[in-house]
Amino acid sequence: MSERQEAIPNKVVDLLVSEVFRKNNVNIDNAKSKLTDEQKRAIRELVDELKSQVETFVKESPSSKKE
Amino acid sequence: MPETKWRALDHCDNHNKHDADVDQENVQKQVTKQISNEWIIVRDSEDVEVTTTDTQVALSLQLGIQAAIVAVISITIGDNEQGNNVAQDLKQFMKTKQSNKQKTIIEGSKHVKVKTTDTDIAVNIQALLQILVAIVAKLDVL
Repeated sequence: MSERQEAIPNKVVDLLVSEVFRKNNVNIDNAKSKLTDEQKRAIRELVDELKSQVETFVKESPSSKKE
Repeated sequence: MPETKWRALDHCDNHNKHDADVDQENVQKQVTKQISNEWIIVRDSEDVEVTTTDTQVALSLQLGIQAAIVAVISITIGDNEQGNNVAQDLKQFMKTKQSNKQKTIIEGSKHVKVKTTDTDIAVNIQALLQILVAIVAKLDVL
């Protein structure tokens, strides 16, 4: 099965997020330091779960079919 | 002589079987969810199978991802003006088209399978997830 197509190119999303952080003077290193290992683990698990839910949803959504 | 229009349920009429199955002419189904307005009208037909996108699942997924984004911002940047501004700016991208209108009419048919899909919702959710992943990647969480 082919890789799921991105809704928006990842580079564009990355640029948008970087720009929002820059615009608001967010110090990334400072932000990183606020995360404990426990929080990182929890966020990782959360993201993984959401990813799999989205994948399931996109896969199960009926595709348009013409007969 | 005018040709008689073929009707899927003619054979039911012939047998004088006026049970519930025959009353499909007036069967209308409207599926209205918070972000979708979909009409599927089945008229004078039999053996029709309809599958549609579950917009309720989509909506809860959307809210789940948005909440995750806000939570990550709140922890890392803080629940302060800066954090709120970042969340506010990100919400600009999260604004999604909240309406999907489609109408499907099945008339005078038998043995039909119909699948409709709301591609807007699927794409929006994928885009939201990409934003979340981009944020956590920047924070070296992944």
